[in-house]
Amino acid sequence: MRNFLRAVKGRAYPRVVGALREPSWMFWDTFLPLLSISAYVFVYRALHAPKEFEGFVIIGGIMTAYWLSVLWGMASQFYWEKETGNLQQYLIAPASLESILAGMALGGMFATTVRVIAILILGTLIFQVEMAVSNPLLLLLIFLITLFALYSLGMMFASLFLLWGREAWVMNNLFQEPIYFLSGQNFPVKALGPIVAAIASIIPLTLGLDAMRQLIFPQSLPWALMSPWLELIFLSLLSVVFLILAMIFLKKMEWVGKTKGTILTRWL
Amino acid sequence: MHSLLQTFKVGMWLDYEIEANWTTPLIFFVYNIAKPVGASLLLLAMYYVVTGSIMGTDALAFLYVGNAFYMVLSGVMMELGWVVQEDREHYQTLKYIYISPSSYYSYLIGRAAMRFFLQIFPLIFLLLIGIIIPVPYRINAILLIFTLLIGWLFMISAGMVLNSVTLLTARYGGAIGESFAGLFYLLSGVVFPMSILPWYLRNFALFLPSTYWFSLVRRSVLGKEVDPLLSQIPLQTCIILILITTVMFFTISLALYFLMNHLARKRGTLEMITTY
Repeated sequence: MRNFLRAVKGRAYPRVVGALREPSWMFWDTFLPLLSISAYVFVYRALHAPKEFEGFVIIGGIMTAYWLSVLWGMASQFYWEKETGNLQQYLIAPASLESILAGMALGGMFATTVRVIAILILGTLIFQVEMAVSNPLLLLLIFLITLFALYSLGMMFASLFLLWGREAWVMNNLFQEPIYFLSGQNFPVKALGPIVAAIASIIPLTLGLDAMRQLIFPQSLPWALMSPWLELIFLSLLSVVFLILAMIFLKKMEWVGKTKGTILTRWL
Repeated sequence: MHSLLQTFKVGMWLDYEIEANWTTPLIFFVYNIAKPVGASLLLLAMYYVVTGSIMGTDALAFLYVGNAFYMVLSGVMMELGWVVQEDREHYQTLKYIYISPSSYYSYLIGRAAMRFFLQIFPLIFLLLIGIIIPVPYRINAILLIFTLLIGWLFMISAGMVLNSVTLLTARYGGAIGESFAGLFYLLSGVVFPMSILPWYLRNFALFLPSTYWFSLVRRSVLGKEVDPLLSQIPLQTCIILILITTVMFFTISLALYFLMNHLARKRGTLEMITTY
C-alpha cells in the first residue's frame, strides 16, 4: 500500500509541477477553450436564445477540458510513454501500473482544474452568465463522481490504446467532436431524444453535464434527462464498471506484452 | 521548376501516407468525415433547442454552410501546426529532408496541399447532407471554384506561418494551429453574423482574408450573403478584398518562412529533440 501511494505521488508530481511551471502553457490552455466557448456563446446570441444557454456553453467548455485531459493525458499516455521510452521503466519498476495510472489521473485532474478555474472565471465575467446553484453539496459530489468516472474511463482506454498501437492518435481525434455532440456539450442532451440520450449516457460526460446544468441553471429543468440523484447513482456505477474494466485490460495488455513481445516496440 | 513540382508531389504523397496508411481507404474516409459531421450535428442540435426545428431558415443555412467550409480550414490549420514538430521530433526525419537536394518550402506546401485536398471530401459529404435539412443551395460553380482556389492559397499561407513559427519552437505546434483556426472561427462570421461581435473585434476581422472567404462561400453556395454587415459589400469588392488580403498574407508567410528558416539554422533547432 505504501509503495502504491508513493508511485501515485511520484507519477502525479510532474503533472502538478508542470501545471504551474510554464505560464505560457496556462495561457494557451485557457485561451484556446475560450475561443470556442466565445464562438458558441455568440451562436446562441445570434439565435436569441435564453441567457442560461450561454451558461450551458461555459459549463460544457469546462467539462470538455477534462474530457480532453482524459483523452490526451490518460488514454493515449501509455502509447506516448512507449514512444518516448518511459513505458519500459514503468514496467520494470517495483510499482503497479494501476498506481502509475492513478498518479496520472490525479496529476491530470489537478493540472486541468487550474485551467478550468481560469476558464470559469473569465467565461463568466466576459459573458455575464448568472449561476444560481440550488444544491452546492450535490453539485460538488456530482462533479467529483463525474471526474472519477471520466478518469476511470481514461485508465481503461490507456491499455486499449496501447494495444491498438498507432491508431491511438486516430481514436483520440474520433472521440472529440462526435462525443461533444452525443454528450450534449452545449445543449441539453434530452434534445437528442430518449434513445440516443440513453445510449450517450454511457459517456460520463453526458450524465455529469445534464446534472450540473440542472443544479446550476434551474431554468433548464424542463430539459432535464433525469433527476440529478439518479444521475449520481448511474455515474457511480459507471465509475466502478470502468475501473474494473481498466484493471482487466491492464492484465490483458501485460499478457499480450509477454506472449507477443510487441508492446514496447516503437512505431507500431 | 521540375524539381519544385516533384518535391511538392512527394510532399502530398507523404502526407497522405502519414494520414491514411494505418487503415483501408474506406475506413479512412469514414474517420475523415466523423469530426466534421460531429461538429455540424452539434450546431444543428444547438439550433434545434432554441428554435424547436431544424428546417431551413437563413440562419440555419448560414450556420450550416459556414461550419461545413470551416471544417476545411480547421482541418488544414490544426494539422499543419504539427508538421514540422512531427518530422523533427517524432519521425526525426526533418534533417534528412532538409539536406536533401529539394526545396523544403515546396515540401511543406505539398503537405499543406494534401491536407486541404483531404478536407474536401468531408465538405462534399456535409453539403450533400445539407440537402436533407434542406439548405437552399443556389450554387454558382465558377465563383465556388474561384473561392476554393483562393481559399487554398490563403490556407497554405496561414499554414506556412504555422510551420515557420514551429521551426523555432519546441512545443505549441497544436496550440498555434488551434489558435489560428479558433480565431478564424470566432472572428470571420463562420457560424454567426459579424454584427454580433463587439465593434473592436468586428473591425479587426475586416483585415482577415477568412472573413471575405466565408462571405464568398455563402455567395457561391447560397447565392446570397446573409450577414447584414458583409452583404453591404458588393461581390466585386469582396473578390478584390480577398485578393488583397490573401496576397498580404502570402507575402507575410513567405517573409516569415525565410526569417525563421535562417534563425533555425543559426540556432541549430532543426535537429532539436525534446521528447515531447
